Amino acid sequence: MATRPTFSEEVANLMHSSHGNPLNTCIQCGTCSGTCPVAEFMDHTPRCLIGLINANQKEDVLDSNTYWFCASCFHCTVRCPSEIDISGLMYSLKRYSIWKHHYSDDAIGPVFSETFVKSILRSGRSYEPVLAPSYIFSYGVREFLNEAHTATNLMLKGRIPVIPPKLKRIENFKKMADRIIPMGGAK
Amino acid sequence: MDTKKKLLMIDDDPDFVEPIMAILENAGYEVDAKYNPDEGFQALKTGSYDLLLLDVLMGRGAEGIMIARKIGDDEKLRETPILIITGMREQIAFLFPGQPVHPSFVPTDELIEKPVEPDLLLEKVSTLLKMAEERKAKSELN
Amino acid sequence: MSTYSYFPGCSLEKMALSYHQSAMQTTNAVGVEMKEIEDWNCCGATTYFHVDELLAYTLVARNLAMAEKAGHDLVAPCSACYKNTYFTSKYLKEDKDLSDHINYALEQDNLKYSGSIEVKHLMEVFVNDVGLEEIKERTTKPLAGLRVAPYYGCQIVRPKKDHEDVENPRFFEELVSSIGADPVDFAYRLRCCGGSLIITSREAALTLVRNLLQNAVDSDADVIATACPLCQTNLEVYQMQVNQEFDTNFSIPIMYFTQLMGIAMGLPKKKLGIGSEFISTDKILTYAKEPA
Ligand code: SF4
Ligand code: SF4
Repeated sequence: MATRPTFSEEVANLMHSSHGNPLNTCIQCGTCSGTCPVAEFMDHTPRCLIGLINANQKEDVLDSNTYWFCASCFHCTVRCPSEIDISGLMYSLKRYSIWKHHYSDDAIGPVFSETFVKSILRSGRSYEPVLAPSYIFSYGVREFLNEAHTATNLMLKGRIPVIPPKLKRIENFKKMADRIIPMGGAK
Repeated sequence: MDTKKKLLMIDDDPDFVEPIMAILENAGYEVDAKYNPDEGFQALKTGSYDLLLLDVLMGRGAEGIMIARKIGDDEKLRETPILIITGMREQIAFLFPGQPVHPSFVPTDELIEKPVEPDLLLEKVSTLLKMAEERKAKSELN
Repeated sequence: MSTYSYFPGCSLEKMALSYHQSAMQTTNAVGVEMKEIEDWNCCGATTYFHVDELLAYTLVARNLAMAEKAGHDLVAPCSACYKNTYFTSKYLKEDKDLSDHINYALEQDNLKYSGSIEVKHLMEVFVNDVGLEEIKERTTKPLAGLRVAPYYGCQIVRPKKDHEDVENPRFFEELVSSIGADPVDFAYRLRCCGGSLIITSREAALTLVRNLLQNAVDSDADVIATACPLCQTNLEVYQMQVNQEFDTNFSIPIMYFTQLMGIAMGLPKKKLGIGSEFISTDKILTYAKEPA
């Protein structure tokens, strides 16, 4: 009867509706890593991460910062000779890690996603200033000042709104979200 | 139990499926598990199951809800009782404060949250099975 | 006059207001009407897909349904919005199960998306629907001698939609030529600007921005033209931070392609939102001259 899925099968299940080929068609050619503009900042290159998944190295994969560094630029995806949707994989891993709360405390990505999603569910539109507190405290002092400086300049140039935008039919909008995720409302 | 009741479990998390299957099998049920929504729905359509245990967050997102809705739209399948078992509150409550709301798609269903107490699980399963049977008996009478 | 349902996206409300203004002016100048979708919502940027793709599709589908109701194809000026909307529409057309479910949610706002419209990036409207000949025709002050680095970025070309050339697109260069300017050979034109990494992984994003700026400067560009508010923000607003971080000295203007089109069409600079940028575009404006 049901045999326990391996980690690579778990990832395949996560990507069951992927528009690319399964990860086990990866030929480890390294095109993705060579293409990826942020590879040098990643714990593992995309090629390496896929190798680890195929070898069921679950902990190494989940602990890796690789998928949070992915900028969703789709450059690897359009070049992969095996037509694997590598960007889609990175999205899936982000999702998996959020659902399982499996990410390091200093990762900004998950917090940013949460804040962003919350802000949209509240008002229907994104509003830059509410995003700021979610990440700015994780910066060092110098980055913080830089960022504050940039924000002030943007404000002076009239490029940051003062009042958060909101939908007219926000109640319908929330009810709509409730039908997809029935959690008693995004209030 | 004379004939073994057949249950299907659709849940992407092997760490959850294993113990739950053990509990149910110990209690005399026959249990199949599918780990993704597509295979799960396929199995439900082709096999004949007495009850479905359904996870919510799988694959792209809240696909369990999508399956339940689809079952509700299907004349025949909608008679299968569904026990939705979700860890949503754990998984994404930071986004959606509040409790999982029970979306009733089929005549006989219920929602409980992970982690699940074995006794509660067995109680819910047998209650749902009984309710479905009564419903069936009634409709056959008419 | 052809009419489109226009979906500005969150950035264009304020951060990239100049893109919005110049888009309105230039489309109007070529006889195209952009009707803003009423009560549109955020497309989820790239972030929603981290949490629940189905919810992301739902948000996008709401905009699509409103555009469909209005009876026009949907146009997005932001590349991220465009990509999300294009692919959501495609997936909903291909997958009945998915579209049934999303439409079940849309019922709550009395909407339905049946997949009868197309999704286009603003630049596609100019290049394919209006046509380069027409744009040439409307160009009263060609930008002769202006060296423009056409920055495609990511999502206007990727992921691949059909059989188009994703490795060597030429439409942006052709558009630049049609307003009399010179497209430079810009090797990094398809490289990522870092997108929202600027928030989540600052160092990585600033490095990408630096590399792009360096490459544009090396190719002797006077200005980088963009077709996306995220790219514009990363390249312009963070240019100063790059200078501080890497001890560089960049000062290259970053303009929306619609602003360049606008000045070539002789439209007033204020109406094109010129003046809200950090890096002066004065020099660029001097190129707009009536041909001798
Ligand atoms: S480009 Fe494709 S085949 Fe090559 S290593 Fe990357 S994922 Fe594997
Ligand atoms: S999509 Fe992600 S992994 Fe692929 S090249 Fe871009 S940043 Fe790298």
